[in-house]
Amino acid sequence: MTDQIDFKSKRALVIDDFPGMRTAFKAALASFGMSRVDLAASGDEALMRVKNTKYDIIISDYNLGDAKDGQQVLEEMRYRKLITLGTVYLMVTAESVYERVVAAAELAPDDYLIKPFNGEILRNRLEAILVKKQAFREVHKSFANGDLERALSECNVVIKTNPKCLVDAMRLKGEILIAMGDLQAAGELYSEISAMRAVPWSRLGLAKTLHLQRKEEEAEEVLSVVLENHPGLVAAYDLLADVQLAQNRSMDAQATLTRATQVSAKSARRQRRLGEVAYQNKDLKTAESAFKGAIEKGRYSVFANPNDVGSLARVYLEQDQPRAAGEVLIANAKQLAENDEGKLVNLVVKSALSSKNGNQREAQALVQEALRLRKAAGGRCSPDLAMDMVQVCVGLGMEQEAGQLLEEVASNAHDSTDLLNRAKDIYRDAGKESVAQTILQKATGKVAQLSKQGALLMQAGDLVQGADLLKKASEAAPRNPRVLMNAVWATLRLIAQHGNSGGRLGNAKRMLGDAAELAPDHPRLAELRSAMREVEKRLKAPELNVACVE
Amino acid sequence: MHETAQLDQDVPMDDLKDEDLYAALLHEMKNNLVLMAITMDQVPRTGAPDHDQPLNEARRLCQRVSERLMQALMIYKSNVGGLILNAMDAYSPEDFVAEMAIQARYLQTPLQVDTVVEEGVPSLWFFDRNMLELALVNAVHNSISYARSRVVIRARMDGDMLCISVEDDSDGYPAHILKAVAENKPLTSNGTGLGLRFANLIARAHTKNGTCGALSLRNDNGSVFEMRVP
Repeated sequence: MTDQIDFKSKRALVIDDFPGMRTAFKAALASFGMSRVDLAASGDEALMRVKNTKYDIIISDYNLGDAKDGQQVLEEMRYRKLITLGTVYLMVTAESVYERVVAAAELAPDDYLIKPFNGEILRNRLEAILVKKQAFREVHKSFANGDLERALSECNVVIKTNPKCLVDAMRLKGEILIAMGDLQAAGELYSEISAMRAVPWSRLGLAKTLHLQRKEEEAEEVLSVVLENHPGLVAAYDLLADVQLAQNRSMDAQATLTRATQVSAKSARRQRRLGEVAYQNKDLKTAESAFKGAIEKGRYSVFANPNDVGSLARVYLEQDQPRAAGEVLIANAKQLAENDEGKLVNLVVKSALSSKNGNQREAQALVQEALRLRKAAGGRCSPDLAMDMVQVCVGLGMEQEAGQLLEEVASNAHDSTDLLNRAKDIYRDAGKESVAQTILQKATGKVAQLSKQGALLMQAGDLVQGADLLKKASEAAPRNPRVLMNAVWATLRLIAQHGNSGGRLGNAKRMLGDAAELAPDHPRLAELRSAMREVEKRLKAPELNVACVE
Repeated sequence: MHETAQLDQDVPMDDLKDEDLYAALLHEMKNNLVLMAITMDQVPRTGAPDHDQPLNEARRLCQRVSERLMQALMIYKSNVGGLILNAMDAYSPEDFVAEMAIQARYLQTPLQVDTVVEEGVPSLWFFDRNMLELALVNAVHNSISYARSRVVIRARMDGDMLCISVEDDSDGYPAHILKAVAENKPLTSNGTGLGLRFANLIARAHTKNGTCGALSLRNDNGSVFEMRVP
């Protein structure tokens, strides 16, 4: 179709667990001039290679034996930023699993090639992808640099000038608009595409936009139609669970995630979410098997999380199975030794076990060490794990340590009912319910009050006082992303009205950065980023600069 | 054996029903055929007819058997769980017919292979390209076997449908095949029936607002194999 692609200059990586296929790919690629071809027999080998070498083209079989499949390899490469949007990723599958593989993909490869195929078709497909990458080069570059405005305008150029790339460009534009927080425009775009044809990804984009706009009922309606027609579409279940959780329907969310794991059990993140929701629903049996799944599927991948071990051990302990909890630690000892997070999990579970076995002195020493390690790591640890530590301390009569930690955790979680309820349960079981009341009141009262008053003042139009109170709330709860985001929102409104003085913009940026680090997937982030850009743009405009000087 | 690891992955062998076992067997045979084809591709052509001709014939045969196995598998699967086209997306009909021509020429046919994109065909159309290609490649190979001198792969609009056709200058389809396809009756006599059933399945799985695609055959100075997708 084109002769502008210079294959000789390209470097390729072929991933296939079967030596015969690797050789065949190498021969096929050589037949059209590609001599710089590396081979990998497994996903892990491929990841090692990609870390050290920049490839233009990656061709992977979907099925790589028992280990990671080609889709997981793609997702891990993207997640770890080992490859860019400019890297070609071609997935090879058998026709019998093709439709299922497509439906389970959270991140689409550039194309799917069905086995058997011949060298000429391989060349044709690679050429088509490379031509397309060329057309989107500026869009990808700007997107990767975080220059979303530019990415959007470049995308519009493709839409206007390149009819063959129209739908791809619209798809990318939807992602850019969502990243920019322009949900209105994203929604209109997805509706437009869906009117052309209700392809699964356009309906999914529409549902996501609706969810981000908090139009949960409409989002659910779209998703139920999608799932009726494409029951294998895993991303639709994930999104539906988000929608249900946003409506506090955690039982429905659990059912949805259970169905999703039945369709595709491979994702550690999905299993973890199911575990979390089931734990919240006090369905310990389901939580147990889901956390087990999360540990197993995450092993040796970037999606491994030592907190899964902590969660599973917690579930065992709550079911009065200390032996099983101990075994989980042993089975995952290597992973837990790798970083502070893991070491902390190990110490906390061990201390809980010692305490349960009546070995008070050992439990005390272990939990003391855990408290020290947590402090040394800057107070970073999952709230549930911190609550485990509170539980051990309360059980051992270490009231002061328990109280301090609970206060710290609770002040950052005044709006997390589940967590606060667990604290109350812990103290009630120890016959000290009133102690918990006092601590929680002290820890959450201030933040809750500042937040409420600040919001009321903002509503009444007193932006100066309102933003000030919400900022104070964020200082009292520096690790609560929701409180931080409220403060950002208020500060941005304040700047828009009264200009940027006293380092307001800098403050807002820092708080938004903190919130994004704490809750990178929070739906509100995009909206705030968009508002931030808007404010910055207005500050830069010369006529407004004059008006903004206070 | 290593090849068996290539087989239908997610089904533990213990849980296989008889039908699944046959499906797994078909799959294994198909994979071995793929490897055989790849191996044959490594035999260089010499230009000598007594060397190249049988080699080309063997490759064609290999391709045909693996296609049959694939079709049998897909038809079996669609009987079990229905065929859902998750990979429906926007593709260029022009690029699609060009790729079909590549499929035809790959078999080293002495025939002339042409592509035609008629006026009115849009730059993009929504279809499941890989599935449509699997269905059409079979027709292309049939035409290569029967055509006298020429095969045409054409894209045109027929009302609201995109119509992709494979045309040749052969003697045309026998009457009983035309009749069976027109009446949507299964053909059982030979392999051709399987290919047609498969193509019919793929065409009908393409749906839009309640309309579904269709397969049709006719004779017009040769055979014309048409797949319409809404």
